[in-house]
Amino acid sequence: MHKSITILAFAVAILSGFVVLQLKLSVQAQSETVETLARQIHRDREAIRVLEAEWAHLTTPSMLQDRSIRFMALMPPKAEQIVESPIEIPYRADQSKVVDPDAGVLLPPAKRLGANKEGRRREKLKRRELRVRFGSGAQEKTGEAL
Amino acid sequence: MNMLQTNAVARGALNGHGEYDLRTDGAPICQEAIGRAKQRLIVGVFMFLAAFVFMGARTVELGFSERAAVRPVAHQIIVPSVEFARADIIDRNGEILATNLESYSFYADATMVDDPNGRAKELAAIFPELSEGAIASKLSSGKKYIWIKRKLTPRQHWAVNALGEPGFKFEREEERVYPHGRLAAHVLGYVDVDGNGLAGVEHRFDDRLASRQGLNDPLQLSLDIRVQYALADELETAMRAHQAKGAAGLVLDTNTGEVVAMVSLPDYDPNSMRGISDEAQFNRVTKGVYELGSTFKTFTFAAAMDNGVIDFGDSYDATKPLRVSRFWIRDDHPKARVMTVPEIFAFSSNIGTAQIALDLGSDEQRRFLGDLGMLEPANLELTEVGAPIYPSNWGKVSTMTISYGHGIAVSPVQLASGIAAMVNGGRRIPATLIAKNEDWIEGQSVISPSTSRKIRQLLRLAVTKGTGGNADAEGYRVGGKTGTAEKAEGGGYNRRALISSFIGTFPMDDPRYVVFALLDEPKGTKDTHGFASGGWTAAPVVRNVIARTAPLLGVTPASENQSHYQQAALLITDED
Repeated sequence: MHKSITILAFAVAILSGFVVLQLKLSVQAQSETVETLARQIHRDREAIRVLEAEWAHLTTPSMLQDRSIRFMALMPPKAEQIVESPIEIPYRADQSKVVDPDAGVLLPPAKRLGANKEGRRREKLKRRELRVRFGSGAQEKTGEAL
Repeated sequence: MNMLQTNAVARGALNGHGEYDLRTDGAPICQEAIGRAKQRLIVGVFMFLAAFVFMGARTVELGFSERAAVRPVAHQIIVPSVEFARADIIDRNGEILATNLESYSFYADATMVDDPNGRAKELAAIFPELSEGAIASKLSSGKKYIWIKRKLTPRQHWAVNALGEPGFKFEREEERVYPHGRLAAHVLGYVDVDGNGLAGVEHRFDDRLASRQGLNDPLQLSLDIRVQYALADELETAMRAHQAKGAAGLVLDTNTGEVVAMVSLPDYDPNSMRGISDEAQFNRVTKGVYELGSTFKTFTFAAAMDNGVIDFGDSYDATKPLRVSRFWIRDDHPKARVMTVPEIFAFSSNIGTAQIALDLGSDEQRRFLGDLGMLEPANLELTEVGAPIYPSNWGKVSTMTISYGHGIAVSPVQLASGIAAMVNGGRRIPATLIAKNEDWIEGQSVISPSTSRKIRQLLRLAVTKGTGGNADAEGYRVGGKTGTAEKAEGGGYNRRALISSFIGTFPMDDPRYVVFALLDEPKGTKDTHGFASGGWTAAPVVRNVIARTAPLLGVTPASENQSHYQQAALLITDED
């Protein structure tokens, strides 16, 4: 009995010593990794500075103008090409009067339509539903106005 | 135990078998010894007990203690911050204008190079500007430390490293890089090899940029690099078209005094300062002082209206040139008739303006220009600031000539901030190159808001009906005044050498920006019908700059409300 306890204690001591050693080694390895990462981060930050400077150089307005003239044929906008607010665009639905809370209805169909048939079918249903709602809404409004 | 034994040996007796008998004759001594041993054991027990109690308490304490008190090894590792000797300079949108980059200088240990000629050949391929023979002689010199090249590009650094020669070594250095090259060179200035600022903002804020405290905290300028480019591009085009000696331009925020763009031509590339002429380094916007001509009439009119000397309804006789002592004051665009106040301004009549100045008086004129800051150097964050030149004896003749911008020389930045005060409701706001991140600054009041509104009308009408028609960028309600001055030469004026300028401001219903353009000695071209005056050379620059930059600056084009200018417009008759 006495002997077995001693052996057990001895074994536990050895085992725990081994585990502690293992833990220490793995912590050392981990902290080395962290150190490597820290160095890497430092190097990357320095590289980012270089890249930012290069980006600034490559996107300097004269460079952009040169590229734009060569590849895009863009011209400076004329005054009449700029509108202050979307309300000035003719034949555009007045957003303030839209009753439907779903903003999706204002997007072009291609964007919210799935390519599959199911999507198109659902779209149709939704549009029909909207028409009903819009129609009634409009009637209500005119009714009020009168 | 040793003690016990020795005691026993000393006091006990040997029995017949040659052993100590503790029970027989030595009994009392034994009892005594055991009692003492127990006492001593108890001391030991208490010591152990105390130790265990301490350890137990410590265990409990550790169990309850804060976790942060124990720092794991990994937490002690800090990412070294990227430190540079000089802070960056950025524009108002955060675009990098100047930055410090790591660069390497390349030296060699000639004692370690085995094949100097072969290596020299390889190096000459990497550095085309170095001669192969020179490198070979350096490498075979046998010295331990010879410079091959300073400040390599990253690519060259990599290429030399790839050679794998142990005798090639590098020293880390820092290099100031201006990614935008010539753009804004006069504002930024430049640094010497050791990184000391020698001109521009680099010089003015040298301490701030190089300080270890605000480390890598960039200096934000009020410049907008896109506007800067538009202005530089247009001025360069105009300068080439008119074969001018130089050009200067400025875009100023009327509400904050921030300089959005500042161009002086000819300019230089701060990245390579070797062999740059003094003329290229001269900042015409701040250091150069010029007699700016008719643009100064704006101040004469503002002073006279603010003092109640004139109003729109008044008129002056401009039928014939005025004689003042030995000078004649003539009009460049003579109408030869009685003109109303708006007409005098729009058609830029020197005769009329001189008479207004006489009515205003010398002292009042001087006081007004002093209030506007025209008589002292501009308070801009640059060291290259020129002092204005004006007559020490401010007599009647000076009053008349200064009223239309002759006999007083100021820098363009002074003029622009003066005009900004004229149109922004009369607030004088000192021009600045540092971003303020504010929309509105209450300045010192120089004229009343109602006078400011009248000046806006006059400036707009000078564009729509007067001499500044070429500045009218469609949709942006540009107002402005042309200025054409002859250069002073040897006591007189040279009729051939002009300083042609235009000061514009937009949008006129709520002026937000002042745009100034100046050409030094422009020549007339076929397109301008041979004219080299401000209205033909500088005004188109202002128009193009406004058309290009207004969308960037957030000014939306709108149709004009004519009624804003009706009061003055009705007093202008176009036919002669």
